[in-house]
Amino acid sequence: MRGVVWRKLLRFAILNVPPWIEPIVIAFWSAFFLLWGPGRRGVMRNLKVIKPGSIGIVNFFRCYRVFWNYAWTIADNVRFKELRTIPDWEFAGWGHFQAMQASNGAILLTAHMGSYDLGAQLFSETSTRRIVMVRAPEEDLETRAFEEHHGAEGLRIEFNTRASELAFDLLETVRDGAIVAIQGDRVVGSISTLPATFFGRTASVPAGPFALALAARVPIYPVFVVRIGRRRYRLITSRPIEITRSRNRDDDFARAVAQWMTELETVVRGCWQQWFTFEPLWPEPAA
Amino acid sequence: MVHVRAALAGAGGVNVVIDRPEARRLPSRHRFALARLIAYAKLRGASAAVNHAERLILPIDRDQTAAEMHGMAIWIFVTTVCYVAAMLPMIWPVAIVAAVPIAAIALHFPIVVIGPIVRLLIGDGDHVKIISVFTMALLVIASSYIAASHTWARYVAWLFFAVFILNAAAAAVAWLLRDRIRAAEERCAR
Repeated sequence: MRGVVWRKLLRFAILNVPPWIEPIVIAFWSAFFLLWGPGRRGVMRNLKVIKPGSIGIVNFFRCYRVFWNYAWTIADNVRFKELRTIPDWEFAGWGHFQAMQASNGAILLTAHMGSYDLGAQLFSETSTRRIVMVRAPEEDLETRAFEEHHGAEGLRIEFNTRASELAFDLLETVRDGAIVAIQGDRVVGSISTLPATFFGRTASVPAGPFALALAARVPIYPVFVVRIGRRRYRLITSRPIEITRSRNRDDDFARAVAQWMTELETVVRGCWQQWFTFEPLWPEPAA
Repeated sequence: MVHVRAALAGAGGVNVVIDRPEARRLPSRHRFALARLIAYAKLRGASAAVNHAERLILPIDRDQTAAEMHGMAIWIFVTTVCYVAAMLPMIWPVAIVAAVPIAAIALHFPIVVIGPIVRLLIGDGDHVKIISVFTMALLVIASSYIAASHTWARYVAWLFFAVFILNAAAAAVAWLLRDRIRAAEERCAR
C-alpha cells in the first residue's frame, strides 16, 4: 500500500485511539486489508513455500495473522516516533549484540520482520555507534517527505537509489566505525544481487551488504526484531558472518550468503506470521 | 529503576526496569484501578519470576499490559455487539452475527468524529485521553439507555455498571493503599 494518506491515517490513529479499544481497531483494519488482493495473494503464495503442503483456506487465515502483526508493528513504530512510547525489549544473543556495538564498524543485516524500523530507531538513540539505515526508496515524493519529517533524531536513512555513490558513502561510514543496517531478505528495484537458496528454492539477495563487508573488512551481524506480544519485542542477534578473502570471490560470497540464508530461514520458519513480504518472493506458482 | 532520559533523547523521561522480570507485575504498568489492585496482589504474593531472556528492558507505562488491554477491548466489544444486536429488528442469533461488523464500525465513531473536532479546537497532538473520556462517556450513556430498556441486553448493561462500580471501589482502595503500592514497586524495581 503506497501513498502518504495511509501514513497520515496511521498517525491520526496513534494520536486518537484509546489503547483499550486499539485491539478492536487493529482487528477491524487487518480484516479490511484482506481486500487488498495483490498483498494477500503475495503473502499466501510465500506461505505456500514456507509451509509446504499447506492449503489455501488455512493460508488465508495465516495471511490475516501476518496483517494483524504488521498492523501492530507499524502502530508501535509510529507510537515511538510520535509519543516516544517504547515497548518491552528482550534480547537473545546478547554477546553478539555487545560485540557488534563494540566493533569498529559492522553491517547489521536484517529482514522485513517484526518492527525493524523501531529496532533501528531504538539503536540510534541508545547505541554509542552511529547507525545508518539503508532502505528501498519511497517512490512517492510526498511520502518520502512525510517519512523524513517524522523520522527519529539521530538515525540517518539512506535510500538505495544511487547505487554507486551510496556504496562509496557507506564504505567510508563503516570504516569510520558506524553500523550500517540493511535489509537482506528481498531485492527491491534494480540493484545487484547474489544467488541464494531459500526454503529449497532459487532466490536472490542484495549483493550490497556482502560486497560492503568484504571491502570494509567488517563482520555482518544477522539481527531480527521479532514481535512476541502486545508492545513486546525480542531482538535476536546471531553469530556474525565473516567474509574471508580468497582467490575466488564468488565462493567467498556464496559461503556468506549460505550462512545468512540459514539464519533467515530459521527465523522465518519460526515467525512466518511476521515476515512482511507482500510480493511473491518466488515468481513462479508454488508446485 | 533506571531513568533513561539521557539515553533516549527526547523520550520524555521514560522509566524502565532492567533485568527484573517480576517488574511485569508492577501496578504502574496497568491503566485501570481494578487491574492495578490485582497487579499489586500478584506482586505481593509473587516469588522471583523466571527470566527467559538474556537481557530485559521493561518500560513503566500504564498501557503496557496486554492482558488488561486485550481483556478490556474484548469486554467493550462484546458489550457493544450486545447493544447493537438488541436494537436490530431480527431474531437474536442473526442479530448478533449482523451486530459484529456494525459494532466494530460503531466503536470508530468517537475517533473519526470527535478526533478531528478536538484537533480543530486544540491543534495537532496526543488526544488519546480526551477521546478515551468521550468514548467511555458514550458507553455510559448507551448503557444507561439499554439498562432501562426491556431488551435482553439490559443484563449486559447492568454488568457494565457493576464492573464500572467495582473499578471505582478498586480506585478508592488503591488510593488508600498508595503508600504500600509505591513501596512494593520500589522494592521490586530496585
